[in-house]
Amino acid sequence: MSNSGLSAGDAQLMNAVAEAEAESARHGQDLTPGQWAKKNLFDGVLNSIFTLVFGSIALVTIWFGARWFIDSDWEIVRANLRLFMVGQFPRDDLFRLWVSGYIVVFMGGFVAGAMAHNAQDLADMQGVEYERATWGSLLRRFWTIIAIIIFFVSFARTALPYIGVAGGMVLAVGSRELGWRAPAAVRARSVYIGAALFIISMMVLAGTSRLGGFALGAVALAWVASETGKRDLPGGGAGMVQRWAPAILVAVVVFVVTVLLPYDGYGWEDWGGLHITLFTTVFGIGMGMPIGILLALGRRSDLPVLKTASVIFIEFIRGVPLISLLLFSNLMLPLFLPGDRPADLTLAVIVITGFSAAYIAEIVRGGLQAVPKGQTEAAQASGMSAGAVQRLIVLPQALRAVIPAMVGQFISLFKDTSLLSIIGILEFLRVSDVANAQPDFVGKGLAPVTYVFVALGYAAFAYTLSKESRRLETRLGVGVR
Amino acid sequence: MNDIIVNADATEVGGTGNVMIDVTNVDKYFGDFQALHGINMKVGEQEVVVVIGPSGSGKSTLIRCINRLERHDRGSIVVDGVELSDDIRNIQEIRRETGMVFQSFNLFPHLSVLENITLAPRNVRNVPKAEAEATAMELLERVKIPDQARKFPGQLSGGQQQRVAIARSLAMKPKVLLFDEPTSALDPEMIKEVLDTMKDLANEGMTMICVTHEMGFAREVADRVVFMADGEIVEVGTPEHFFTNPQEERTQLFLSQIL
Repeated sequence: MSNSGLSAGDAQLMNAVAEAEAESARHGQDLTPGQWAKKNLFDGVLNSIFTLVFGSIALVTIWFGARWFIDSDWEIVRANLRLFMVGQFPRDDLFRLWVSGYIVVFMGGFVAGAMAHNAQDLADMQGVEYERATWGSLLRRFWTIIAIIIFFVSFARTALPYIGVAGGMVLAVGSRELGWRAPAAVRARSVYIGAALFIISMMVLAGTSRLGGFALGAVALAWVASETGKRDLPGGGAGMVQRWAPAILVAVVVFVVTVLLPYDGYGWEDWGGLHITLFTTVFGIGMGMPIGILLALGRRSDLPVLKTASVIFIEFIRGVPLISLLLFSNLMLPLFLPGDRPADLTLAVIVITGFSAAYIAEIVRGGLQAVPKGQTEAAQASGMSAGAVQRLIVLPQALRAVIPAMVGQFISLFKDTSLLSIIGILEFLRVSDVANAQPDFVGKGLAPVTYVFVALGYAAFAYTLSKESRRLETRLGVGVR
Repeated sequence: MNDIIVNADATEVGGTGNVMIDVTNVDKYFGDFQALHGINMKVGEQEVVVVIGPSGSGKSTLIRCINRLERHDRGSIVVDGVELSDDIRNIQEIRRETGMVFQSFNLFPHLSVLENITLAPRNVRNVPKAEAEATAMELLERVKIPDQARKFPGQLSGGQQQRVAIARSLAMKPKVLLFDEPTSALDPEMIKEVLDTMKDLANEGMTMICVTHEMGFAREVADRVVFMADGEIVEVGTPEHFFTNPQEERTQLFLSQIL
């Protein structure tokens, strides 16, 4: 075909361009430091002035910052490290946090390794150029997180946290390798395995409960339904039954077994510190996402009731400050809920889920609008039902387009959880106040020390997330489309 | 067929003589603007009808009404004995029998070529996966790009994409194919490969309505040419009639501009 000849020619051309670029980059590295500085920092009057002005500002900042850092009394952080990390989680059962954390690390490593391998296989199949991930590139991606964890653990007064963190890092590397090397059939299911592991890690802390059983059952439902959906099913009711009956059966069994397992734990009212900050964020986005997608679809619906309800919910939530919603959760929400007053955090999590759902709905709506009308028309023209068009054509494209914005929402919710301190929840930022009120430290003016510690924690996580989101943006741009 | 001009009456059926599409007195409004004025047209089984006309003349609107991408306001449209109504089951029954090829291809960018073709048969007709993929590969052979099956639409040239789109619409084994300016978005060197594919289809006896500006294609393949302007059918006839002896002033003007 003349066309394949053309595209092969294009590929050659592109290779040539890439090589030329690599060549010039290599030349760039050949410069001596002096030449480099002249070329980049002092190649004109304006540039030289900028270099001098901002260079001096940077030097002064670093000088005073470093001196302050060294002169400050960090005893308050050393004494309260556990409080900062996990709040008032019962001391005797701290091992549960380690186990839970290790499960999460294993899950993250395994899923990341499996997905990276899947993505590479897909790219190879399509013949797309793909930057292979190496341990070096992973270190560059996650060095802030690694650095901040080492920074945190450096305040520990016993050896155990050092050992624990070192073990966690080994586990992270090992589990990623395991995920990478897993058979394709396992890799294809890594998301379900990951979701199940995540819920199990929560139950290690909180014990078995109906909520945990429900969550695990939901994962089982989705997993089994995806397995049965791969077979060729007859159309209509029979197909629905064959697809969903086994899924529902398994889900119910998982639920019942989970609930019946006699294993007690500490509910999230006993959690705190950085742990509760991270948990609330993940939970808020994880639950907010499906609700947000439904709200976005509702807002675009032709049914007036659905549409109006969605619009009112989204606009109201987006129209009031999160802090007032949190106060609402504490003061008014219990009045609407049946039974005993739930824990403060439960109420807050309900509100945070609704809050992120409203913002995610608007993000998703933007994505839905960005899918060209021709896509819907092409799907409709082949006789697909309206639901199938949304599910198989519009939503996948819309969601892919808004992943970076979704990560942005994740970052902003991560920081917004600091408002939980307003309703007395001992999250990462509030530990700082609590520590400064302790008899040993009260009135010593140590608030700057603890605030800097907390700020570094927030910044490290947010920076890594935002870097990942930019990476996704470029990858989605070149990748599949 | 003969040279008779049935002016503004496109109801003389060609092909096997069985009526596949019957459009009667159709009006269509966009707000206050009337896009179609009392359109009457019949298309026979295995007939190829080419619709030409200046832009804004309602050609695309007409074929988009046939599979209800646009709702017509008055008159009736019957496809293979099923009349279009507001009933969604009815609409989907017609859409299953009519394939459509768009100017901008409208392939699904997040699915591979093979998935693009197998999606509707699997989802709408519940065809088993293996069978759907076998059919898809046959269709890709037919449009001469079986080696692109695993790629994604963005990796193909425009001509290849449009041929995939044709294969996709054929996967539903439609009785009618609607082409909405299938070559207008293509670079000149790719137009031929798409037109060749369409010619093959016509020779195999597919019923087709084609909105196009490709006069060579019309001359070679069309059983009838329908000229539309201002939302009306102005002139109908064989290709020979159009290229040798157009009657209406508007037809003559249009042809003089594009030929």
